[in-house]
Amino acid sequence: MIRGEHSFIRGTEQDDVEALFGLYAPGVLRAGLLDARREPLLVTRDDLRDLLTRKEIADGSFYTVESKTGAIVGFCSIRGLNTDARFAEYGIQFTDTDCYGADLAREVHDFLLDRAFKRLGLRKVIAHALTEETAMVEFLRGKGFMSAGVQREILFSQGTWHHLETLVLNNPSFNASQAVS
Amino acid sequence: MPFTTTTYIRRAERDDLDTVVAWMESADFQHFLYGDPARSPKLVREKIVAMLGRAVGHTMPGGIYLLIDSPALGPVGLLSLQNISWRNRSCSIDLYIGKTEHRSGIIAAGAVYQTLEYCFHELNLHRVSAFIYSFNTASWRILEKTGAKRELILQDHVARDGNLFDLYGYGLLRSEFDAFRAEYHHTASGFSLEAMIETLGRAGTEPDG
Repeated sequence: MIRGEHSFIRGTEQDDVEALFGLYAPGVLRAGLLDARREPLLVTRDDLRDLLTRKEIADGSFYTVESKTGAIVGFCSIRGLNTDARFAEYGIQFTDTDCYGADLAREVHDFLLDRAFKRLGLRKVIAHALTEETAMVEFLRGKGFMSAGVQREILFSQGTWHHLETLVLNNPSFNASQAVS
Repeated sequence: MPFTTTTYIRRAERDDLDTVVAWMESADFQHFLYGDPARSPKLVREKIVAMLGRAVGHTMPGGIYLLIDSPALGPVGLLSLQNISWRNRSCSIDLYIGKTEHRSGIIAAGAVYQTLEYCFHELNLHRVSAFIYSFNTASWRILEKTGAKRELILQDHVARDGNLFDLYGYGLLRSEFDAFRAEYHHTASGFSLEAMIETLGRAGTEPDG
């Protein structure tokens, strides 16, 4: 467990299913929870229990974020590692968007970058956000993420089309000579 | 003068297995699309058999594999519609022309046009995406000519031969394709699904499915 000044970060456990299930509540669109076809998933708690037994999760690429009071306030991950081009997907999901403006979010971000850039030696991380996820986009831009573009009308939900922005953060200390493993 | 072609697209079937396996195992396919030369040939073959066996007629498949065929040339290339979302009415397309001499020519352009017509006017899709490596100039130029927008540029995203290349993400909405089709209808009429079906009818061949 990583004990921060404002948070605890630890590998996600089976016991976290209820909090994870809460992220999938209808009516809240989250790019990080869409499938490969960019469709929202209608998950059950059983689905999530199965998900948490998968190797990448058991091996520790998916983490639970707790506040200092021990309440689960979100999840984060570095996943989809591409070993050839040395990048991965960066994901943060908070149960309350107010968390993006809190010190806790900075600690989670620092933790993910430590994993991605120092431990894994990645060149960059990539995040996705629906254009409605304004708190997350603002947070990511504040941390130096740059937009790589917006895929238009990629998701239909709540009677309208939604756009998906892809944001990239390069590893500032990455040596160009390490470009390809 | 309108362009015409006798090339047509059809569903890939078991008889195409050897052709498709040969393409997918070629260094060229792995360079421009995906794959790994270290993969087991047996597993590659099994994967293709599974993909060819996917039902399409009365179900809602997540992927459709089409052969670009020609009476004169035989099978020319492979087209796949991946990640079909019936909710978002979208898919992504991959195109591989096995016969290199036809890669940037009218056959590739015609196949893309027929595929887009199939996506928008038969499957009733709203959006088609394509992810193309920056060095695959012939492919992204063809797509741009249909009105597709380069929405995404992921720099240094693909490793090939010890170098990193950019990945372009394209998106084409039905309204954009229809605008292109209306503007170039006279020129492209020989490429259309309607023209393809007519040609096949004249040759005494019925399109599959």
